[in-house]
Amino acid sequence: MLAGAGALIVLVLVLRSPSSEEPAAPAIQRGGQVIASLRSEPRSFNRLVSRDYATEILTLLTQGRLARINRATFELEPWLAEAWESSADGRTHTLHLRPGVTWSDGTPFTADDVLFSLQAVFDPKAQSVLASTLLVGGQPIKGTAPDAQTVVLTYAAPSGPGLRLLDNLPILPRHKLQTALAAGSFVSAWNNTTPPSELVGTGPFVIREYQPGQRVVLDRNPRYWRRAPDGGALPYLDRVILEIVPEQNAELLRLQAGDLDLTSSELRPEDYVPVRAAEEQGRLRLIELGVGTDADAFWFCLKPEVKQGKDPRFAFVRQPAFRRALSHAIDREAFAETVFLGAAVPVWGPITPGNTQWFRPDLPRYAHNDAVATGELSTLELADRDSNGVLEDANGTEARFTVLTQRGIGTYERGTAVLREELAKIGVIIDVVPLEVGALIQRLLACDYDAIYYRPILTDLDPAGNLDFWLSSGSGHFWNFGQKTPATEWERRIDTLMLEQAASLDPERRRQQFGLVQQIFAENLPVLYFAAPRLYYAHSTRLRGVVPSVQRPPVLWNADSLSVTN
Amino acid sequence: MTAFVARRLLFAVALVFVVSSVALLLTRLAPGDVTAELGPFAAPEEIARARARLDLDRSPLEQWALWLVRAGRFDFGDSFLYGRPVRGLVADAAGNTAILAVVALAVATALGIPLGIVSGSRRGAAAAIIRSVSLVCLSLPPLLTSLLLVFVAATTRWLPAGGMTSVETLDGGWGTWLADVAIHLPLPALALALPIAATFERLQAQSIAEALQQPCVTAATARGVAPREIIVRHAWRVSLRPICGVYGIAIGALLSGSFVVEFVTAWPGLGRLMYEALRARDIYLVAGCAAMGGLVLAAGMMIGDLLLAIADPRVREQESL
Repeated sequence: MLAGAGALIVLVLVLRSPSSEEPAAPAIQRGGQVIASLRSEPRSFNRLVSRDYATEILTLLTQGRLARINRATFELEPWLAEAWESSADGRTHTLHLRPGVTWSDGTPFTADDVLFSLQAVFDPKAQSVLASTLLVGGQPIKGTAPDAQTVVLTYAAPSGPGLRLLDNLPILPRHKLQTALAAGSFVSAWNNTTPPSELVGTGPFVIREYQPGQRVVLDRNPRYWRRAPDGGALPYLDRVILEIVPEQNAELLRLQAGDLDLTSSELRPEDYVPVRAAEEQGRLRLIELGVGTDADAFWFCLKPEVKQGKDPRFAFVRQPAFRRALSHAIDREAFAETVFLGAAVPVWGPITPGNTQWFRPDLPRYAHNDAVATGELSTLELADRDSNGVLEDANGTEARFTVLTQRGIGTYERGTAVLREELAKIGVIIDVVPLEVGALIQRLLACDYDAIYYRPILTDLDPAGNLDFWLSSGSGHFWNFGQKTPATEWERRIDTLMLEQAASLDPERRRQQFGLVQQIFAENLPVLYFAAPRLYYAHSTRLRGVVPSVQRPPVLWNADSLSVTN
Repeated sequence: MTAFVARRLLFAVALVFVVSSVALLLTRLAPGDVTAELGPFAAPEEIARARARLDLDRSPLEQWALWLVRAGRFDFGDSFLYGRPVRGLVADAAGNTAILAVVALAVATALGIPLGIVSGSRRGAAAAIIRSVSLVCLSLPPLLTSLLLVFVAATTRWLPAGGMTSVETLDGGWGTWLADVAIHLPLPALALALPIAATFERLQAQSIAEALQQPCVTAATARGVAPREIIVRHAWRVSLRPICGVYGIAIGALLSGSFVVEFVTAWPGLGRLMYEALRARDIYLVAGCAAMGGLVLAAGMMIGDLLLAIADPRVREQESL
């Protein structure tokens, strides 16, 4: 184990809190440019039809929403809507649009644009990837406009997240896209060959040029509506350049060399040491973003229609006692040190301490104890009957599994190596097969696997935004997705609680109900979690106004308030 | 000459057809497809729509036949990754790779041939050093060479650490663009050229050593011709045949080397495009890149044959040139 080295790295990082080294705030300088990196090309400039990360970043930079979730505080903030009132039943929301806002081409922004965006996102011909994130009670949000500055949104059912859903919806210009929507060509409108002059927005920047394979250049939107605290215009920067650097090692070298001011994602654990050295030389600033909101997960295929009667191991894999035994077998502290080189915290469920609003520290925990693990396994009549170091059931079926993971990811390789070593101590043998991500997903969707080690990303911090994960019928309920009726009693209970929770308007009741959900999940362990990474990020020392977030993009989410020193 | 060119053109067409068809079918038959880019938990309808758009809902043979018909009209389909037609993407990327490859080949030739002549015709420390450096260059995988050069560029600031142009070229004309490309070229060109230069050096050294044993060289020595003149006028010419023969293969090596070099140095060329297409199983982009790769390879082999014919009269006779 590499525990010692990992601990040392984290100790150094933690003892020298980067925030304490921030220089006294100088006067904010206007102008200048920052160069950030993207690891891949934008597939489209239309976020409604494309979910790739590059498109998401460009949308954050160029488009506005009615309300946005502050990525640092997780609070909902007025954005293109400056105020709103909600009815007592939580189904009707009246939003007052900010007056005087114009699109980057000078056309006034009105309620018609909001209605158009709602129409586009729910139009089947538009094939929007955001439609499912904006359904309430399974129904689209309906909108009306009593006047040009007011929008009334009607939900089919009460919604716990309420107006937080609006953070998912970029408001698009009706005057530029209504023809495409009417013609049924919205899905290909604003693709990445569209001339930048056609791409108008209400965000802080406008796309000036896209050079495929090289960069996207964004210039300041002179008509941006938001003002700085001193009353001056935002954004501070004149230009943001997104350089496309596909290789992560080269990206880091270019950051260290000063060719880049910031990257699009957090550091890998193995990058801490060189970045720390660059920080000591005054070339970079290293910041801790906090504990990540997603953790690597390990789960078995629990689909009875695929496994029952066909795989004799399913008889014990389906038992929570078996999965509890595995949980007891893993030393999570050592796991964090080895897999994440110390930059991680132990976790026992999908909600990590990084999700401060919904994390519950009092859930059942499975202390590392091989004797308890062996005891749990013996209740399932699993024992090493032929003294070959592998447990067998009464029929002689060995507890031996193939674990699939994604090829080429350092934490996955180390994580599966630790699992193999730790589980072998209790007589459970795993063979690891790294696959390309496409092949892995194909096997996952076909349930053609024993177990998988992977990091599924929960799309929303609010559990009501992740119903596809929690509900037994969901496509993200990956151990047994798309169930017609809940396969187990505990999944039925979670379904009921989650649907109530998602529709509840009482924050305290929502928290209680979700706490219960987490409790049931932790008792039955359909998915095992071991450690959530502490996320670190590095940027150039000339960058000012950084408000880091554990959510991606860690810095560019707040691009209108970034500035640079000479 | 006409028959030679016609034979080679036919070969090029056959090569492009076979390479692109095999690439398409293998990509299709490999586990997983490009819809994995939508993420593991994309809605089934969204996956189905993407698969239909790329003809992945048809049988592999049906998809291949459709693609062939469209390719006959120079429509190579759309890339899922880039959301645009493959034809334009491949053409742009091939142009960028051509710039890189021509420079890399020129550098490899300029370095490898003279050094090979020196190391093949002399003994002593200089020859030993050249041999050793060549072996190191041959042993280093392109990924490591590229990263090493990026590291050197990033540390010393002598050269840009990646990319093909700087953002400053946005406001400049062609002259600015050319100058900027010229500054960005040395890094990827060196990463590509070094192993090929080492190959040329090794071949040239061996070849010239053999040529120096030829009777014509012995005769020239007996006539009192100066050693320098013997090497340049007699031995080098005789020794050129294996070098010319390997030029076609060198162009193939440039293409395969560009996979990693362009990826690491962020050069927007055919190798990087192919690498990303293969990684994501972007089926039509893979086929389009393979077609272009086949075309470049065929052209490279033709150029190699022509050079060989120029260097060696026996080949001219064989090929009826």
